[in-house]
Amino acid sequence: MNRPVSLALWAGTFAGVALCLGAAVAHAAAWPIAPRLARLGVLAILLTPPLRLAVTAGAFWRAGRRRYAAAAAIVLLALVVAAIRAAAP
Amino acid sequence: MTAVVLALVGAAAGLLGSLMGVGGGIIVVPALSELHGVPFREAIAVSLVVIIANSSASSAAYVERGASDLEVGVVLELATVAGAILGSAVAGLAPVRTLKLLFAGVAIYSAVSLWLRRHRASDAQVVGGYAVRGWAPGLAVSVAAGAMSGLLGIGGGVFKMPAMTLAMGLPFKVAAATSNFMIGVTAAAGAYVYWGRGEVNAELAAPVVVGAFVGARLGSSLLARLPATRLQTAFAVFLAIMGGRMAWSVLGGAG
Repeated sequence: MNRPVSLALWAGTFAGVALCLGAAVAHAAAWPIAPRLARLGVLAILLTPPLRLAVTAGAFWRAGRRRYAAAAAIVLLALVVAAIRAAAP
Repeated sequence: MTAVVLALVGAAAGLLGSLMGVGGGIIVVPALSELHGVPFREAIAVSLVVIIANSSASSAAYVERGASDLEVGVVLELATVAGAILGSAVAGLAPVRTLKLLFAGVAIYSAVSLWLRRHRASDAQVVGGYAVRGWAPGLAVSVAAGAMSGLLGIGGGVFKMPAMTLAMGLPFKVAAATSNFMIGVTAAAGAYVYWGRGEVNAELAAPVVVGAFVGARLGSSLLARLPATRLQTAFAVFLAIMGGRMAWSVLGGAG
């Protein structure tokens, strides 16, 4: 079950870091796209923990370890609630 | 401040974080706020984003190698996230001076305990072959770690690491990998609040994130090669310095 969890972490990290690197280069070159790339990069980083939790819950569920799947799902729910509350005006 | 300097701050945080099982906020916040004049709240917001990036980059490698104890991680995450929500809720009520002294006391106590036991540190770096014990103190410390994360913008690894190694019986390297696995989730709850308030300066965060990724990758490859006794000794010294610095900031009149 480690493989899917690791892949989820790599996917979020690479997306975020690649966008942040693009933003840093664009900023140095004074390209107007820099702020947008930076925001997208940070957003990708912020979305990695819930993505990882969802994949971890699924992997535990498939492995028949339901209590650990439930623990990961509860943490995911708490993060989603925190994100929704933060986004609310 | 140039992007290169920001990337170097991130690299130092990433390297330390992946080797010691901490988030690196303890480097990023003072480096940005005290050395480069970034407003404190902005520094905390950037720090939380960097902690998530650092945690994700390190733990991706650790999970792939089977070095993170996912079962311990998800159970303790329940406690850290509850603590982070609690910490965020009472952030304006709790006296910071008391919290800093508490932080200093726990850090110095843990440093002494880890130092005394450094020669017994296990070099095991994969899950299994040890019995997990002390769930109650582990969960209690995780709630406190989450609360400190919500209050101070740190990952909470300085609390989780001693709890996992001293109270729960995890080998140092497994504890570092598991702590890295958990830190991103703990920091995310706080980061969302800062993002929602529009306090995350993404252009400032971007080069620090890139540096943290490089540092974390380097650290996760070094962890397998360095002896656990040396790492545990270094962590004990690191904790003592952090605890002493925090105590001085309160008792010396600077905090």
